[in-house]
Amino acid sequence: MPKHTRISRRTVLRGLGVAVSLPWLESMGPLTAWADASPRSATAPNRMAFLYVPNGINMADWTPAAEGADFDLPPTLQPLAAVRDRVLVLTGLTADKARPNGDGGGDHARALSAFLTGAQPRKTDGTDIRAGISVDQVAAARIGDQTWLPSLEIGCEAGSMAGNCDSGYSCVYSSTMSWRSATQPLPKEVNPKAVFERMFSTAPSAARAERDARRKSVLDFVREDSRDLASRLGASDRRKLDEYFSSLRDVEQRIAKSAQSPALPADGYPAPGGIPPEYEPHLRLMCDLVVLAFQADVTRVCTFVLANEGSNRSYKFIEVREGHHELSHHGNDPAKKDKLRQINTFHVRQLAYLLEKLRSIPEGDGTLLDHAMLAYGSGNSDGNAHNHNNLPILLAGGGCGTLQSGRHVRYPDETPLTNLWLAMLNRLSVEATQLGDSTGVLPGLAG
Amino acid sequence: MAANERRPGTQARNLPAAIRHPVTWLCFAAAVCASVSAADMPPGPGFAEAGAPFLQKYCNDCHGDSAPEAELSLTVFRDDASVVKQSDRWKTVLGMVETGGMPPEGESQPTADERGAFVRAVRSVFERAAREGKPDPGRVTMRRLNKTEYRNTIRDLIGVDFDPTEDFPSDDVGHGFDNIGDVLTMSPVLMERYLAAAESIVQRAFAVQPTAPDKQNSAGAANPGATSRQRLLACAADAPQAEQTREVLRRFATRAYRRPATDDEVERLAGLAESAIRGGQSWEAGLQLAFQAVLCSPKFLFRAELDEHPDSPEVRPLDESQLASRLSYFLWNSLPDEALTELAAQGQLRANLDAQVQRMLQDPKAQSLVDSFAIQWLQLKRLDSFTPDPQRFPRFSSRLRDAMLEETKRFFAAVVREDRSIVELLDADFTFLNERLARHYGIVDTEGTRAGQKPVRPGGQPIRGEDFVRVSLADDERGGLLTQASVLTVSSNPTRTSPVKRGRWVLEQILGTPPPPPPPNVPLLPEDKQSELTGSLRQRFEQHRSNPVCANCHARMDPIGFAFENYDAVGAYRTKDGVFDIDPSGQLPDGRSFQSWAELKQILTDQKDLFARCLAEKMLIYALGRGLEFYDQPALDRIVAALQSDNYRFSTLVREIAHSDPFQKRRG
Repeated sequence: MPKHTRISRRTVLRGLGVAVSLPWLESMGPLTAWADASPRSATAPNRMAFLYVPNGINMADWTPAAEGADFDLPPTLQPLAAVRDRVLVLTGLTADKARPNGDGGGDHARALSAFLTGAQPRKTDGTDIRAGISVDQVAAARIGDQTWLPSLEIGCEAGSMAGNCDSGYSCVYSSTMSWRSATQPLPKEVNPKAVFERMFSTAPSAARAERDARRKSVLDFVREDSRDLASRLGASDRRKLDEYFSSLRDVEQRIAKSAQSPALPADGYPAPGGIPPEYEPHLRLMCDLVVLAFQADVTRVCTFVLANEGSNRSYKFIEVREGHHELSHHGNDPAKKDKLRQINTFHVRQLAYLLEKLRSIPEGDGTLLDHAMLAYGSGNSDGNAHNHNNLPILLAGGGCGTLQSGRHVRYPDETPLTNLWLAMLNRLSVEATQLGDSTGVLPGLAG
Repeated sequence: MAANERRPGTQARNLPAAIRHPVTWLCFAAAVCASVSAADMPPGPGFAEAGAPFLQKYCNDCHGDSAPEAELSLTVFRDDASVVKQSDRWKTVLGMVETGGMPPEGESQPTADERGAFVRAVRSVFERAAREGKPDPGRVTMRRLNKTEYRNTIRDLIGVDFDPTEDFPSDDVGHGFDNIGDVLTMSPVLMERYLAAAESIVQRAFAVQPTAPDKQNSAGAANPGATSRQRLLACAADAPQAEQTREVLRRFATRAYRRPATDDEVERLAGLAESAIRGGQSWEAGLQLAFQAVLCSPKFLFRAELDEHPDSPEVRPLDESQLASRLSYFLWNSLPDEALTELAAQGQLRANLDAQVQRMLQDPKAQSLVDSFAIQWLQLKRLDSFTPDPQRFPRFSSRLRDAMLEETKRFFAAVVREDRSIVELLDADFTFLNERLARHYGIVDTEGTRAGQKPVRPGGQPIRGEDFVRVSLADDERGGLLTQASVLTVSSNPTRTSPVKRGRWVLEQILGTPPPPPPPNVPLLPEDKQSELTGSLRQRFEQHRSNPVCANCHARMDPIGFAFENYDAVGAYRTKDGVFDIDPSGQLPDGRSFQSWAELKQILTDQKDLFARCLAEKMLIYALGRGLEFYDQPALDRIVAALQSDNYRFSTLVREIAHSDPFQKRRG
């Protein structure tokens, strides 16, 4: 495996499972299939990632005063100082479908499920779940076949907790960002070990080939054996069966191209352990995996939910002992707003970590960060007011030269957030003219 | 997680205390309404009298006959019959009116009383229709096995007890439970995990080392000393291999699919095994491949209730295999054992249903009613991720958290096992404690003696160590679920108690009369009001409630919540909150007042039927895997009536659910 000789084994062993970064990433050089095919000269692919933080932001400490390139970083965005020139602050975007529009309470549930879909989530505690296809899944459906995984859905808080999560909305809405279709939410992986094992097979290739052959015969069998099932099932059952078959096809496709599966970066590579007990190491480990996924070209599409919408997690490791959701209803209490800013800033610090990591890895004529677009934000603006206009949104990375970053851009109020998603899709060579409530492609990103 | 605590200034639109969930329709007028069975309610006025004038006054101008807004004409709705015909449409209309979404701003607005009366009128139309009309058992969407069910099913099917679901994505929750058909989705990730799990399960089952005979299930009943491998491969020794293959596969597929496997299915499975054998694999390896295929089949992964006329609206009983499967997943979270399967095969299950329910409740597998049903009903899954502020609550630790959960589990299990009255869930004179939790409660011995006080009763044994012992309670400080630390903690914030959350918790989980959802777009509190908000938590909330737009909902939640103020955010007893004395007294919206938690407890336990209905509703959702609809009302009526006439015994609740139409029957 000569292509992996650039990687230092010494450093590989320590990276995962603990709070430190992946030091080997700097020394590894490009691993991607495209880079192998025509090293250095090839054009690096563009990628997209979406990072979500819950409960809105203390906007007074988020929005820069000045527009354009000459703006000062407000307190919450301070951690981005080192990568300021790679970030666009986008003000004025709106997730209209996160609003009640006649459905009453439930701003948290709607904020997350409308964020990437631009669709009004159906208010239901369980019967007939429905939102819309999310931007990442539009991309995955179109370019997913070019990589080992069409997309990656990760997070740091597992799906369900208990009860109805928000005012008559099933928990699926406040824990799910990616929707494969209007009726098929995609659960996220919270275990770094499981994510890693999905990205890289740890089995020797001979054993894997044998396993894949068995899996293929199993899948062929169940497809054939279940052919007549639909005729004896009612309409809602058939929808479940469709979900099953569509998932089965996805796995079959992966088996079919298993010869091109991304190789392990080095022999004896240790998979991450389970979920780190502390939150920050967990977040960082997930960030490391995003970097690794892009670097090894495992996927070009990723969603990452830092915490579920409405999360009442306490951040005692940064001396904030109250619950996040509780604090977001600050009632303009300065002490609470201060604590909220600390949480907001903590999350931005994780973004900064991810961006700096991506920037540290040379790829083609630039760095990984030059060849990626990372959107960061929340579907709630001020968590106290539960408003969904003027959302806190960042767009980081170079997008393969299609973004002129280092600016604060203000859009007319009520500009649909989905217009930004369309602009990102286009930069991924996915032609799309409509997504949810979009009204056009967001201008002004290239300067 | 819900946005359930509103700050002062919360806009409440003065909505009626209307209830989202159809089952609670009848009781939504009062926070804690009098103890009446829904069936005893007098019939209300018809829609023509109580609903149509509202439409005329507020809706029909825009939703009239010609070019109505949203293509919705409301003029056709003049009487009960016309409303009942379009129940889906009315769900939307009610939602709009109830939450203040309609009439839109700028149009003339009904008063809160008008809104409430209209919503009640429409709901009673559906209530009447359900009670007077043709019974409708509803329709359950086929359920994917959730993680718990998958694990238990594998344990009982294969006889290997390990957790193959560790890497499965978590199951989502709907209607409060993680076994709801519509919410249990499939994804490519999960499909991969199923493939991998099937491999490791079969590998373990065929491990050369004999696995320990399973202790608590029937898989090994026929031959308790046998290994999993021996049991799975058992067949007529002198039969030709082709017959042996079919015998083994028929038995396995029949159990896995929870219905008799058809000849075609057995042939196809045998074909898969035999093609592997022809390819050079051993007989055993061929069968392993077929087992894997069964474990990845939708027939195994989903609890499909197959039907020759799946879309026919005709109401018909489930076949007995389907009933056996519903019953065993309801009570055991697992597949039917041999006894159930055998009865179903003979068509004798319905005839022996009561005896089977009794037997199943006494089986150790009925622990799933505690671990899955009770824990979710009480919303205690959240306890796992709950981290109280260590500075304020230095005694809290993960071990204390575990002990809290264990107390509740053992307590609920005792009610099930001893077939006690469900009312004891609210008020009991016993519990289960270990030393850690006993100390947390200030109890020193098994007779409930308080630390530093003389024993009320003689004979108490000191409570020592990590093991739990049954403890008789000597006073009102503890007793029943509501004063268990688990419940008190999970309904608190990390730094302080939350009377609103606790009040809401009681209204939702105990009385089944949840407050209306909080209004959207909460306006900010005006700065000048902010400065006035000082004093004890109660004083601050009272200022909050003095704001008329907040008063309506908080008048229902807060008094109940404040009755628990003697219990801090981790459930320890206290008489002061900081420098402020605790005042647990309060008054409910209907005028009844109480001085202490003990008095409120009396008020709650006096409303047995409200609680019984709430618990029956939750358990029916759990048993069916779907939310309840207006047509489920008659079934609930009957369950509550049966409980009334049988001292509210736990087994009666379970048995009546098993007998109920929605559990027993289906339609397309």
